Amino acid sequence: MKINIIKNQFFLYGFFCFILFLFPLLIDDPFYLNKISTYIVFGLLAVSLSLSWGYTGILNLGNAVFFGLGSYCMAMSLKLKTDSIHTGSGGLPDFMVWNNITELPWFWEPFYSLSFGIFAGIAIPVILAIILGYFIFGGRASGVYVAIITLASMIVVYLLIMDQQAYTGGFNGITDLSPLKFGDLEFDAYGPSAYYLIVSVMTFILFLTLIITKSRAGLIFQAIRDDENRVRFLGYNVGVYKTASLCISAGIGGVAGMLYTIVMEFASPTFMSITLSLSVVIWCAVGGRQSIFGSFIGALVITSGQGFLSESETFLHTWTLIMGLVFILSVLFLPKGLAGIFDKKSK
Amino acid sequence: MDFFISQFISGLSITSILLMIALGLAIIYGTTGVINMAHGEFVMIGAYTSWFLQTKLGMGLIASIIPIFLITAAMGFLIERLIIRHLYNRLLDTILATWGIGVILQQLIRLSVGSELKYLEIPPYMAESMSLFGQQVSVYRVFIFLFAIAIFILAWFIIYKTKFGMKLRAVTQNKDMASCFGVNSGAVYSATFAFGTGIAALAGAFVAPLKSISPDMGTNYIIDAFMVVVLGGVESLIGTAASSFIIGETSSFIASFSNDTLAKALVLVITILILRVKPEGLFTKKIRS
Repeated sequence: MKINIIKNQFFLYGFFCFILFLFPLLIDDPFYLNKISTYIVFGLLAVSLSLSWGYTGILNLGNAVFFGLGSYCMAMSLKLKTDSIHTGSGGLPDFMVWNNITELPWFWEPFYSLSFGIFAGIAIPVILAIILGYFIFGGRASGVYVAIITLASMIVVYLLIMDQQAYTGGFNGITDLSPLKFGDLEFDAYGPSAYYLIVSVMTFILFLTLIITKSRAGLIFQAIRDDENRVRFLGYNVGVYKTASLCISAGIGGVAGMLYTIVMEFASPTFMSITLSLSVVIWCAVGGRQSIFGSFIGALVITSGQGFLSESETFLHTWTLIMGLVFILSVLFLPKGLAGIFDKKSK
Repeated sequence: MDFFISQFISGLSITSILLMIALGLAIIYGTTGVINMAHGEFVMIGAYTSWFLQTKLGMGLIASIIPIFLITAAMGFLIERLIIRHLYNRLLDTILATWGIGVILQQLIRLSVGSELKYLEIPPYMAESMSLFGQQVSVYRVFIFLFAIAIFILAWFIIYKTKFGMKLRAVTQNKDMASCFGVNSGAVYSATFAFGTGIAALAGAFVAPLKSISPDMGTNYIIDAFMVVVLGGVESLIGTAASSFIIGETSSFIASFSNDTLAKALVLVITILILRVKPEGLFTKKIRS
């Protein structure tokens, strides 16, 4: 019976990914394809929070910091590949020239290599997650402390990026990027190629998280969420498992951030803002945080609704207001989100 | 020496603002265990209420203190009765619900008043500066400092010297036991939440003339306020005051060597480091689980 459920889930995920792969055949308009790409990227961000929050019980209110760091790594690499960097001597990025920087800073150097940029886009969020894990779980902080410390850490990174304008582009972020290129293969943000890239990565991540949640470690994650002390008494090192969960979540967040830079063609400090972090929490809460797929769909539905209404500012504000209400109602009455309803029915 | 005194005074000014903002949060968190992420929005609502009373109804800042407190306390009371009340048995979810409340308050202001910045003037009789220990200090900042101390003493008096305060402390220590002795713990919680909201709003009203007023101004304060509360330790009013002082002075002195943004980042890092060593905060002996 258990095997059956797992098989069904694999089948469901496979079918869903297959449908998304067919989209470019149905949609001609590159504008909509680009929009759908961004919704999928947000879906991946929701998956990353669902793993740490829904499965392991780590309420990470600074989840967007991983996303933002990933996006900056990708943007740094792509910036060094543009033609517009010729504004300064030795190919300096434009904003550095405006800030009277004459030499490329040392930490920008390795980003000439695209593979390093991609590696850093995963590695830097994971390293931050390890440090955070050491501080938070090593001190056995729980509940509100986890929430506040993660949120504060994100603010620290955000403030540093805003402050070091000469090296990071500050408030404006990093703009005017070259498209992502592997040899002759170019991923144009408004073409099907970038869309296929994103859906492929999405398929990989969805199946990866499915396998993780079904694995032994995944079961321990859930046990920690339900009763941390009991797991500790059984001899498991809870701190290590929690840090591991946060690291996987950070890695996925970093990947999502890199993909977001590819489709948006810029990186901005707003990618690691409280607003985005809150949005991710809302997607997961409404979709169902204890379900990877539920969180993913929650993000997809809410962001596409937002995109649909974003032409008028009043509509957008009203939509956000309604989302706030839906969020509170789902916290009060549907702690397991929409996915909880389907769960009950299937039982 | 002059440098030292001037930084110390500027630190006191930051301290007084931090104290006013964190006090309401500390009282709510310490008593009910509710983690109020909408606290920054309560500050924002206070600033807007003050702006409305002063520019639309022509009231003075001093005259509007009591109306601001009453209006926002009523709002806090309603929020507690409608939403928070249902979450006392799952306190972590109050983070989510109150965050949602914050979003709703922000959007209501955006839709009704608009997103553009609003400005309030410092009352003319406090706009000048005065000489203090050989330093020129703005009268308004001195006023804020005195007012913060007054509010702190008032809160201390209410909690430790009145009958309501005794009930409040009883409920804080053991809600069920207090209920057995006939304390209406539900009413105590509502009143605490209303009181905390009112204080936050007053903080907003006083901060508003120093900075601009915008719907998202609250998000700038919420982290600072939480840092003060967790550093000071829950259930300790003195701890809140002491940690406001520590964070305020540290910010001021670091800022004199770099700038405000870096100072803020560094203070956050230092606080996180301290919490690693003393997760229960600097000034408490036990922690609410």
